[in-house]
Amino acid sequence: MFDRVTEIMSLVLGALALGYLVYEIDRRQRKLHDIWDVLDGEDAIITGTLEDMVKKGELKPYAEAALA
Amino acid sequence: MTVRAARRSAKPSESREEIAIQPLPETQLPAIQQNGEPSAASRFRIFIVDSGWNSAARRVLHENFALIRDLQKDDPIYVLSREKSVEFMRRHGSRIGRDPIIAVHDMHALGKGGTVGFHGFRLSLGLLRTPEQALMGLQAFARFLVEHRHSADLEADIRARLRREGFTGAIEIAMHHEAREIGD
Repeated sequence: MFDRVTEIMSLVLGALALGYLVYEIDRRQRKLHDIWDVLDGEDAIITGTLEDMVKKGELKPYAEAALA
Repeated sequence: MTVRAARRSAKPSESREEIAIQPLPETQLPAIQQNGEPSAASRFRIFIVDSGWNSAARRVLHENFALIRDLQKDDPIYVLSREKSVEFMRRHGSRIGRDPIIAVHDMHALGKGGTVGFHGFRLSLGLLRTPEQALMGLQAFARFLVEHRHSADLEADIRARLRREGFTGAIEIAMHHEAREIGD
């Protein structure tokens, strides 16, 4: 009887640990995706705007040593 | 923001069809020469959008900008003025509070497929709350650009890195080592 309870407790704790790890990986990846993200079709307007500013000469490569 | 939402928020004269760029001919790819002008060696265009929040991330960016520029001297860096950055944020409200944002356009990808598919990546530095986190983010950014500037598949490299970082970070947390903790 005691062995059975110990076995069940181990299974439950193992499942909880695994669940926490999966949750933590997912949370970390979401956070990272928030900070680092790829530019794709959803960013077309923003990219187009920035490239357009370069094309029109409104933006030039920054030549100063420090940011203003 | 979805393309549909972006279309809704754009002014009538700024529809996606008008703004989204087509693949660039090889002859229009950027470049940086000794005089500071773009050269054939450049793969990326780097844009910095910063509306001026008094944040740790902004201070770290300013303190390390010269080094970033030296490390990325093959690629042009375009810094939007505060006025242009604020205007940018007014148009793209979902980005408010995420700046300074560093957007990197992969000119190879833009040349091949325009803005429809993958064409670069961005670092929302403003989401990193402490100076240490911001510095680590900036260093990771510089390292990634230097290591992957000749990558044949930049998108795959970025996605692999994000998967790896998420997994590694979770393992470290589980092992009670939070040195790499980002953004909390």
